[in-house]
Amino acid sequence: MNDSSPKRTVLVGCGAVAGKLYRKPLQELQRQGLLRVVGLVDSKLEHAEALRSKLRSGSVFDDLNLALRSQRPDLTLILSPPHLHRDQALLALKHRSHVLCEKPMAPSSDGCAEMVRLARENDRVLAVGMIRHFFPAFAQLKTFFDAGKLGEICSFCYREGRVFDWEVQTSAIFTRQASGGSGLLLDIGSHALDYLLWLFGDLNVVSYADDAYEGVEGNVVLELTSPACPGRMQLSWDSPLRCELRVVGTRGEAILRVDQLDKLAIKTNGDFEEVAVDHRYPADVRFPSRKTITPKLYTESIYCQLIQVLRAIELAEAPAVDGQQGQACISLIEAARRCARPLDMPWLDPYQEAMHQSLHWTKA
Amino acid sequence: MSGPIAVIGAGGFVGTRLVESLVLEGSSDIRAVVRAYRSLAGLSRFGSAVDWRIADAENPAALVQALQGAGTAVNLTTGTPASILRSTRTILEACVAAKVPRLIHLSSAVVFGEVASSVIDDDSPPLMRHWMPYARAKAAAERWLREHLPTSPCQVVVLRPGIVWGVRSPHTLQAVKALREKNAYLAGRGDGVFNSIYIDNLVAAILACCAHQGAVRGFYNVADQETVSWRDFYAAFAPSCDYDMGQMPSVSIERFPWSLRAVIEYVQLLPAVNGFYHRLKTSLPDTLKSRLKALLADGYNYGHTASTYNRKPVVDREVWHLQRVRYKLPTAKFCKNFSFTPPVTFEDGVRRTVAWMEFVGYESLSKQLVTAS
Repeated sequence: MNDSSPKRTVLVGCGAVAGKLYRKPLQELQRQGLLRVVGLVDSKLEHAEALRSKLRSGSVFDDLNLALRSQRPDLTLILSPPHLHRDQALLALKHRSHVLCEKPMAPSSDGCAEMVRLARENDRVLAVGMIRHFFPAFAQLKTFFDAGKLGEICSFCYREGRVFDWEVQTSAIFTRQASGGSGLLLDIGSHALDYLLWLFGDLNVVSYADDAYEGVEGNVVLELTSPACPGRMQLSWDSPLRCELRVVGTRGEAILRVDQLDKLAIKTNGDFEEVAVDHRYPADVRFPSRKTITPKLYTESIYCQLIQVLRAIELAEAPAVDGQQGQACISLIEAARRCARPLDMPWLDPYQEAMHQSLHWTKA
Repeated sequence: MSGPIAVIGAGGFVGTRLVESLVLEGSSDIRAVVRAYRSLAGLSRFGSAVDWRIADAENPAALVQALQGAGTAVNLTTGTPASILRSTRTILEACVAAKVPRLIHLSSAVVFGEVASSVIDDDSPPLMRHWMPYARAKAAAERWLREHLPTSPCQVVVLRPGIVWGVRSPHTLQAVKALREKNAYLAGRGDGVFNSIYIDNLVAAILACCAHQGAVRGFYNVADQETVSWRDFYAAFAPSCDYDMGQMPSVSIERFPWSLRAVIEYVQLLPAVNGFYHRLKTSLPDTLKSRLKALLADGYNYGHTASTYNRKPVVDREVWHLQRVRYKLPTAKFCKNFSFTPPVTFEDGVRRTVAWMEFVGYESLSKQLVTAS
């Protein structure tokens, strides 16, 4: 058992993310006495009520302000659609609650900056939910990288795409930002860019192409540069890409399967060989940690992320991704959009290819 | 037909390409009907150019509402074998209730099995005792439509494509993976007919049905113009997959080469087990499903292409039967009634598909080396 009292926690957004990904880890943390859900906020009260009945804890609200005033949470989890993140996080920080905000932190870097400033002024933890920091293979590749196992890095290629199958409960993610939506680049792109930033420290956008007309992009290709090397990132919502990060170094090559938690292979000479992934994360809120785990499931990674946030609050450790890091990721997305051009689609016939170019949103 | 084209099942492989083509050809009257919000992902880039509605193909009230005012409905839904007949009925009844003048229903050439006779034509009855539940369900849907087609106030056009191949085709991706991983095989000498249609030719056929002004109700086979064998098909993709066709193993064409996996799939397809399997699949918790998936997953090919040829490949029963197809289905009826010529040749389809394969990360070794350098 932990010595301190359970952290009073409010959940904002009780849709698919909360129900499918956070529910089990929260149940486990409640069981361990590390946190207690005291409020569930959703504009659709039936969603909040459904989750409350599973968590067997907390009161339901459709007004975040009311929830924060009445419940006085230590921690607020922002699990709502992205266009709501900024205002909800600012409100929670004003009420002096620590915040874990799901990615993307906010649709604009200005919004992120406001969140960072308020968190600093109120001396609160502002963590961004970038779950891949808690995928053991991802962390292990970072360790290899830092140890120079691949030698000097020459190039990288990140691909992630499949036919979209996440059970979203609204169309928000598929609409343009002006209508409160997001798109592929904010959805998967924020994960991918955050991870590449973690690996390489800094990135610049050389070029960016997407396939959006009046709507949001379903395919994107970015050419990037890092201080170490050039690279490429490709994402898709409608095509089954080879989901891999391939890094080529002077002493070897690594392939990280970005659709898995624990699959990493290294080639130093000969063929690729899978690495035994055993990166461990703290599973308690003690210093030093007495219990560690290697997550095997997505929900176990969420559990580790929540533990890390509790450690940030309780032990003043840094969260895996803080507000400034979250902001850096959004700034990159903005830089990409500033130099957008239509994606090349050589599989279309010449007439359709020409129409595709002329309908692109940058031509509007 | 005046009024929008309502594409039911617009979020799928054919639906997405149909909608994309309509947008790129300048159509402003497109309605995408999808079962769930997640199916909008592939359509999200079109924004307000596409009017979308959420309606389950088995929910009559929602479907009638979604189809109101449509000039033509196109049924591209897939679903489980158990749901195919139900959704076919619901969609036609909804079209009638919503006064949609024309319904284009996509059946499949699989209803004719291995096309064992040259006299099978567009109006031949489908096989009702096919070994595959999907084929039986498609046949049952055709039989039901055949009964209702003559009297329905909605003009029903049933299109019967073979394997839909090309850009974004799951079938083509599977074939290319088999080549790259050196697991491909031919039944006999590979002379079986690759009864198929390139995705853009199918889309063009659907659009021809939408545009036709006359009375066109009936059953139609649709296919590419060329007659292509399975060997031709694999050979067309072999260079981009670093595959030497001279190394391709041949398996018996007379007797199915059983394996443990084939036995498991056979049991899965038994009617009682199949229904239970689909129910179980939807009711299992995600965590358990991901554990099982990881457990059953094939080894991952980190090197992208295998270096050695698998001399004893595991044979997929469906692919084996498809490789035994003896005759190309006649398409003269469709071509004549709709003044139709498939716009994309086999050669051009292969070129486009290879371009797409490279885009999704399946480039040949020589291209990888150029990129790396």
